[in-house]
Amino acid sequence: MRIIKKKTNIDFIGKRRPALFISSILNLSIIVGIAIFGFNFGVDFAGGTVVELKFAHPISAEEIRKRAQSAGLHDVSVQGIGSAAENSFLLRLGGVTQLTKETAAQAEAAIRAMGPLKTFYADLDNGLINFRSEKKLDPAEIKKAVEATGTGVNEVRALGESQAGGFDYQVVSSGMADKISSAMRGNQKEADFLQQRVDYVGPQVGKQLRNKGVMSLLYAMVAILIYVAFRFDFKFGPGALVAMVHDVIMVSGYFLVTRREFNLTSIAVLLTVIGYSINDTIVVYDRIREEMVRYKGKPLPEIINIAVNDTLSRTILTSGVTALSLIGLLIFGVGEIWDFAMAMLVGIIVGTYSSVYIASPLTIWLDERAAAKERAERGGMKATVA
Amino acid sequence: MDRTWWTKFITILIITLGSIWFLVPSYYSFFKLPREDRNNLKLLQEKLPRWSPPARYRLNLGLDLQGGIHMVMRVDTKTALQKRTERRAIQIANYIREAKLGEVTADANPERLEVTLTAKDPSTMDAIEKDVVARFEDFSKVRRDGNKLVLALKENQVNRFKEESVDQALLVIRQRIDKWGVAEADIRKQGNDSIQISLPGYQDPEKAKELIGTTAQLEFRMVDDSSDFFRTVVQKNPPPPDSGIHLTTAEGFPQLEAKDRETLLAYFKGKELPADRQVLLECVASKVKKDACESYRTYLVEKNVPLTGESLNGADASYDQFGEPEVNLNFDAQGGRDFGTLTEKNVGRRMAIVLDDNVQSAPRINEKIPNGRARITMGRGFTKTRQEQLEDAKLLALVLKAGALPAPVTTGEIRQVGATLGPELIRKGSLAAIVGLALVVFFMAMYYKFAGLIADVALILNGMLILAFLAIFNATLTLPGIAGFVLTLGIAVDANVLINERIREELSHGKSPRAAVDQGYDRAFWTIFDAHVTTLIAGFILFFTGTGPIRGFATALVIGLVASLFTSIVVTRVITTYFIHGRGAQTVSV
Repeated sequence: MRIIKKKTNIDFIGKRRPALFISSILNLSIIVGIAIFGFNFGVDFAGGTVVELKFAHPISAEEIRKRAQSAGLHDVSVQGIGSAAENSFLLRLGGVTQLTKETAAQAEAAIRAMGPLKTFYADLDNGLINFRSEKKLDPAEIKKAVEATGTGVNEVRALGESQAGGFDYQVVSSGMADKISSAMRGNQKEADFLQQRVDYVGPQVGKQLRNKGVMSLLYAMVAILIYVAFRFDFKFGPGALVAMVHDVIMVSGYFLVTRREFNLTSIAVLLTVIGYSINDTIVVYDRIREEMVRYKGKPLPEIINIAVNDTLSRTILTSGVTALSLIGLLIFGVGEIWDFAMAMLVGIIVGTYSSVYIASPLTIWLDERAAAKERAERGGMKATVA
Repeated sequence: MDRTWWTKFITILIITLGSIWFLVPSYYSFFKLPREDRNNLKLLQEKLPRWSPPARYRLNLGLDLQGGIHMVMRVDTKTALQKRTERRAIQIANYIREAKLGEVTADANPERLEVTLTAKDPSTMDAIEKDVVARFEDFSKVRRDGNKLVLALKENQVNRFKEESVDQALLVIRQRIDKWGVAEADIRKQGNDSIQISLPGYQDPEKAKELIGTTAQLEFRMVDDSSDFFRTVVQKNPPPPDSGIHLTTAEGFPQLEAKDRETLLAYFKGKELPADRQVLLECVASKVKKDACESYRTYLVEKNVPLTGESLNGADASYDQFGEPEVNLNFDAQGGRDFGTLTEKNVGRRMAIVLDDNVQSAPRINEKIPNGRARITMGRGFTKTRQEQLEDAKLLALVLKAGALPAPVTTGEIRQVGATLGPELIRKGSLAAIVGLALVVFFMAMYYKFAGLIADVALILNGMLILAFLAIFNATLTLPGIAGFVLTLGIAVDANVLINERIREELSHGKSPRAAVDQGYDRAFWTIFDAHVTTLIAGFILFFTGTGPIRGFATALVIGLVASLFTSIVVTRVITTYFIHGRGAQTVSV
């Protein structure tokens, strides 16, 4: 059995200009798109709270939204997951803690009613209120006063007397997840849902994770590039690098266009794509090197064309087999894992394309430029000799 | 068949059997144990046949698959540092007043971690500067304008203090989780200001809030050694022999000791205690496992709390003049007076240092300590080396500081997976893996016929090796890990595609099957190797930067790729060689 029956003789190199042109346009528009619209960051990177609820009976997203609203939660996004029969929903809230600008202002008013304050500072990111009161207050009373304004309080800490006069207190507000749970419950005696999963990431942690993710992509590219430069001729390096960057941008484009959540798993996909998509490039490069020895003297574009054609069936096969393994994940995977498989599939396809149409043509282009430079230099030398 | 073939064949056989052997504990834990006992290593060990590897080499499920809570707590070192600067400003002012160096006001600038001393009489400032800079070593001079001296907390002190704040929080969190009795709780530092907590199988998020809900309570309470209570109680109600509760003596005082905290507490339930007394436990640190308790010991402690951590200014571990490790305590003015009265009344008795209801240490009061500065020497027991004693002193100082200057802790990340979600994910994940694998196996057999079947054998061995090595390394299998497992097998079989394509090509050049196979393997080797290395690089980077489930993905990827170099190249070649050389096959089915 063969996929490609006869030896192919497609002129890949001849079509390199239109291919490079289209790819460049696509890549540029993705970059511009990311700059304008940005990714749909998941809680991993944006911070916030996601709660997965499984209801005991059929319920509409609208109904859930209504329940949230009647409990004062306005910016909740509700999304059904899995099949309709599972009655599972993802509820996402931007905030991590129950402290928002409005609730903090209400809490401030409530605390001020207890006695004059010297300072008041609400740290919304961490859900903390720090304040200094002129007289000593009872933490239990503070808790009661703040909770009366609708902000859940985890704890009120007495931080002691300040040397500048006054008493320091810290109010730690409760997380959003509690609020969702109680909002959904309303006044039911027995909750009609199960809280399957809670993901809650503080905004600072989100930022850290994001930076770490981007750094890991850079490290991987540099490390692989060093390896390629070390194992192959230096002139193969730029082609491999551009192909890698191309693949990463294209897969990012998948997340950009589909608005699927961009999270830690997405970073894992991008990293794997970087490592895997270069495989096809290596197969082609290896062949180019082999043919260069066999057909000494033949111009490089021709050699590359032969190499790409000779390895075409295995390039398609290897990618195809890897893609085949993902099919189960695409059928049975939900949420993150489905996204993983889909993005990986995109990565495999663009990786195959880029190794044929980008990595190799760039090698030629660089080779031609080097040759031209050499010629120019030699020409210059001649001129001086003459 | 030549000798190298036999060597390779036997190696493969050993590795195959070994990986099956290492999967035995996992098999028992998944198919022979009820789900709720999956983390119960003791029970698993009992069920395992005697020839099996120990129970701890069983495949761990990640939190996303078995349910549980993963948390990251952030220690607010900034606030802690600011409070400390303010406290030190008061201490410096007090020192200057007590040493009669002059009259100053000390103002703390918490934002910049600076203290500004302003002298009423500028002429006293030179002497003050000299003395203060020499005595308060954690501060350095920033500038001096006439009667104003600005001091700043030293950079290395800031870092040390931050580190200590995290250690203190870690200690408190560890003690609290220890009380819940969660099997396999994993608590560790992450970065320089965070603590990572994994509680597999744990479902109570309300309780998880206890960790940061309340600040740690440090108390100084008197131990009641007068009544010989423990001896009497054991004589009256002998504990059941299987409870492991037994009577010991420490420094001549009787105590009860048991390996399990709950059993010990349950034993005292319903027993009548002397009036206003309470039984508290002390953790005896394990020598084998770091930060774990070997056993627990009882103390009979007065309910009355004469002194708390709020009166404590600081604590430090150091050596005394004889080179013995000791802990120095430093109380504030009121605390010093209270401590003086307390020690005067109780000379000769033991005083328990209690953090969150855990006895940390119970030093004997040797004499009245009037000035608010106490020393605890670590001299008890001759079984410890000086190094160990110093470690003890440092730990005690940390405990004291955790109670005296707690650093506020906030929640950075909580990921909780309910118990019902896991089994569903496992079911779907395995189904996805099986379908993906079946498709690949089927395709290879169809496309490459016999050579494809050989590749399939290698693929299945690869899958087994991944699971076995995950078990050996005590790595965890997560949902992304299952995805990684499938993907890796898809990548692994690429190697056989490359080899088989090459063999076809060589055959089409008119080479004999033998030569075609040899050349196919030799020529494809470096291509496969390079392709594996690049993916491995990405996998390793993901392993070192990723956390939780993603790390599970990277682990499966890395193990699978390394195994693939072995199975796709070595194993398939040994099988192919057997048919070509050994059976003298004249054709090769590719």
